[in-house]
Amino acid sequence: MAELTLEGVSVSYGDAVALSDVHLDVADGEFFTLVGPSGCGKTTTLRSIAGFETPDTGELRFGGREMTGVPPEERDVGVVFQNYALFPHMSVAENIGYGLRFHPVDDPEARVAELLSLVDLDGFGDRDPTELSGGQQQRVSLARALAPEPDVLLLDEPMSALDARLREELRREVRRIQTDLGITTVYVTHDQEEALAVSDRVAVMHDGRVEQVGTPREVYHEPASRFVASFVGENNLFDGERVDGGVRVDGTTFTVDGLDAAGRDTGGHATLCVRPEHLRRDAAENRFALTVEQSEFLGEATRVHCDWDGRTVVWRTDRRVPERGAAVTLGFAPEHGRLL
Amino acid sequence: MSRREWTGLSADRTLRSLAVAATVVTAGVLLLVLYFPVGLVFAEAFGGSRPLDSFASTLTDPFYTGVLAELFARPFAVGVHLDNVGSWFAGVSVGPGGVDTPPLSKGLFGFTAYQAVLSTLASVAIGLPGAYVLANYEFRGRRTLRSLTIVPFVLPGIMVASGFYAAFGQAGLLNDVLALVGVGPQRLIETNPLFVVILAHAFYNAPLVARVATAAWESVDYRAVETARSLGATRRRAFRDVVLPQLTPAIATGALLTFLFTFLTFPIVLAIGGLELATVEVWVYYQLTEVLAFEEAATLAVLETAISLGVTYAYLRYESAQRAANPGEGPPREPLFGRASDAAGSWLARSRVVGALDARRLAIAGYTLVVVVLFVGPLGAMVLEGLTDGSGLTLRHYEFLLQRQASGASFQTKPLPAIRNSLVFGVATVAVALPMGLVVSVASTGEGRWRSLLETATMLPFAVSGIVFGIGLLRGLVFGISLPGGWRFVITGGVAIVAAHAVAAYPFVVRNVAPQLAGVDPRLVESARSLGASRVRAFLDVELRLAATGLVAGAAFAFAISIGEFDSTVILASDVAGDTVTYTMPVAVERYLGRRFGPAMAMGTVLLVVTAVSFVVVDRLGGRVERG
Repeated sequence: MAELTLEGVSVSYGDAVALSDVHLDVADGEFFTLVGPSGCGKTTTLRSIAGFETPDTGELRFGGREMTGVPPEERDVGVVFQNYALFPHMSVAENIGYGLRFHPVDDPEARVAELLSLVDLDGFGDRDPTELSGGQQQRVSLARALAPEPDVLLLDEPMSALDARLREELRREVRRIQTDLGITTVYVTHDQEEALAVSDRVAVMHDGRVEQVGTPREVYHEPASRFVASFVGENNLFDGERVDGGVRVDGTTFTVDGLDAAGRDTGGHATLCVRPEHLRRDAAENRFALTVEQSEFLGEATRVHCDWDGRTVVWRTDRRVPERGAAVTLGFAPEHGRLL
Repeated sequence: MSRREWTGLSADRTLRSLAVAATVVTAGVLLLVLYFPVGLVFAEAFGGSRPLDSFASTLTDPFYTGVLAELFARPFAVGVHLDNVGSWFAGVSVGPGGVDTPPLSKGLFGFTAYQAVLSTLASVAIGLPGAYVLANYEFRGRRTLRSLTIVPFVLPGIMVASGFYAAFGQAGLLNDVLALVGVGPQRLIETNPLFVVILAHAFYNAPLVARVATAAWESVDYRAVETARSLGATRRRAFRDVVLPQLTPAIATGALLTFLFTFLTFPIVLAIGGLELATVEVWVYYQLTEVLAFEEAATLAVLETAISLGVTYAYLRYESAQRAANPGEGPPREPLFGRASDAAGSWLARSRVVGALDARRLAIAGYTLVVVVLFVGPLGAMVLEGLTDGSGLTLRHYEFLLQRQASGASFQTKPLPAIRNSLVFGVATVAVALPMGLVVSVASTGEGRWRSLLETATMLPFAVSGIVFGIGLLRGLVFGISLPGGWRFVITGGVAIVAAHAVAAYPFVVRNVAPQLAGVDPRLVESARSLGASRVRAFLDVELRLAATGLVAGAAFAFAISIGEFDSTVILASDVAGDTVTYTMPVAVERYLGRRFGPAMAMGTVLLVVTAVSFVVVDRLGGRVERG
């Protein structure tokens, strides 16, 4: 087990910069997630940790041990890929046991059986990987990665090829196994919801940079940048002018709590963020008038797209929704507004 | 799960040094057995006091380059050339008998390209319907027929040429059959040798076209066709808009390879056409062996190789551009024979469908007849000629072979040593060509702009003429290379032949193995490495195992090429001085052919049987590898 440190890691392919100056500290036993849209550098970061990419600059350490230049086979990492990457010419048991050829144990067969049981696939050892469902194949892939007891577990979009229900089931199981084993884990996903659901901490990446690192609650409630605010969860962003006690957007003034953190002068530019679920018809403050345009029934709530003087505003409510074209007045509490 | 005894780093270090050694040995063998001998011949072309003069005189000689000679002589006299083109077009007249064009002097190079183009067109025309039938219809023996398409390609040219003589010659099978229905003898080979040469080229290359086109047809994503149909395209239109574009790359590949092979054709033209139909390759051979004009031959060989290398480079560029196609399921295959037409529907509609299908099946029947005449005819004729003499069926020719084996003098060609040599050289060729091909495959799997160049360089055996190669080997390795200190480096006999065969065969290993290696998901290798395998170990455990079918196919090719190789073997198999003979079955056929037609045909039949049996054996072994 080990903590993981990246210091100023940069990777470029020719002129294209894939990663620029990435700093990360992953604690021992932590479930750490890299989240961002495709092309943001999250997979490149993971591949640099695994040793499949060689960073141009920067340092990579596992528990203080310098890893730059160490080949993948000597890093003691376990990797799980999106497409499972099971060896098609080996049985399930042979796949799981492959790493034990290089990390000898006293009784490899018992170890394989133990891992099969860990991922709930007892008795599947003699099957061909191709006979298994996607979810089962991914469990085999996880068991194979865990078999040599790696210091770090790397998961590259492991759920993306699975359907929604299976995805949730498997991610809970991955988290359970990770917690039981206490293994340092780096998880890559483009699905911010998944990232918030499973992680101890999250790094939101964009254009080869780390935009924010924090607990799921921190990145959700206190986004550090416009990108994080719009990428993590749904958000309404309004550009306006900073005024005393709040922000003015096209003549409407909104009051917002905790302005010191933003530390901007009056008169400067500011962006107001309000989550759709924080907009309420019965709010006493920050009220503004909108027109209902379209609504989507989601079961536990309804997502309503409204028009506010040409801006689209998303509102989430568990109450009855006015008809399309109806006028509605919404507001939000000052503690729910956030300025960027 | 089996436990490996040897794990850990020391074994990996051994493997890495093995890999390095294999690469070095491969490069050495290629350098010594391919580039050095070929270079030796080419050096001759530049050997005169004013080396470029020989090229200039060749290029400006109308005998070689036809109407282009003037272009090469005065490249900047654009006006003159335009006038020439204009006056040629002015001579074109359209009459009732078609378009009349003034004669155009093609020269030796022009004629070589001309017959190659005609052969390519014929091969595509004969190969494509075969691909259509193989990809769209289900019938007994379809898979067997599909794998048999490889067979003509590896048959020795000398055997095919004699087969065509036996079938279409004045005393051949065709005339025997025609005589039965009262048609007088046709002098096909004598009156239209070019036609027969093109047929023989189609015999070789139409199956190749059919093979690549069938593979492409079977991997067409048929849902795209269904989408097109649902959008309103007729069956024919959907074929044109969806299927054809996906077949084009395969057809182009087949056509380019056919052009390449027929551009370098040798035994077929020599045997059927003689010097009247001389291609560049035949002329090179003639210059070397009859006129002993070595420099002129070398000059021609350089130009010839430059052209075919250019085509090879174009082919490889094209092939790499086509690599990333998504394989689909292919069309649903309908039964070729019999059809349950009890389906509901109006009688009229059904009869139209059945009628159309019957017309199609009639066409397929006609095509089958052509295929039988073209493919079974020559081989069947050869087998028959081996079993008949003027009076009827006889085993006389085989008795001759046995008798020659039992009591022939040591300078005479015996059948058994020929069979033994062919098999031994074949196995040895596989043993050498397989690792060579594997190393080259690995080297050429990488990306980058140098890859096509590297591939072209390693594919040189495709593009260089067998004659040049054989002469180079003879002058370089067999006669020996002087080394400092009075030593001489000499490779003779079986070793030289195996080296020549391996060099000719390894590109086929590469063509079979490289795509499979390139198709291995890099994440499989990365998984293996993160689990503790070194790069070499991951290669052995993952990539090599997944390319096993390609290796088996490559081995089959290497074996067959060795069995059938004639051009350089005939030059190297000089067994006068040595105590062990090194002639192979094709060489034996050729030696018998000069004096006794019947025994030659009997020997050819033996060659055919041995080739076929080895293919079946390799196929079975390969099947086992694929399953295991």
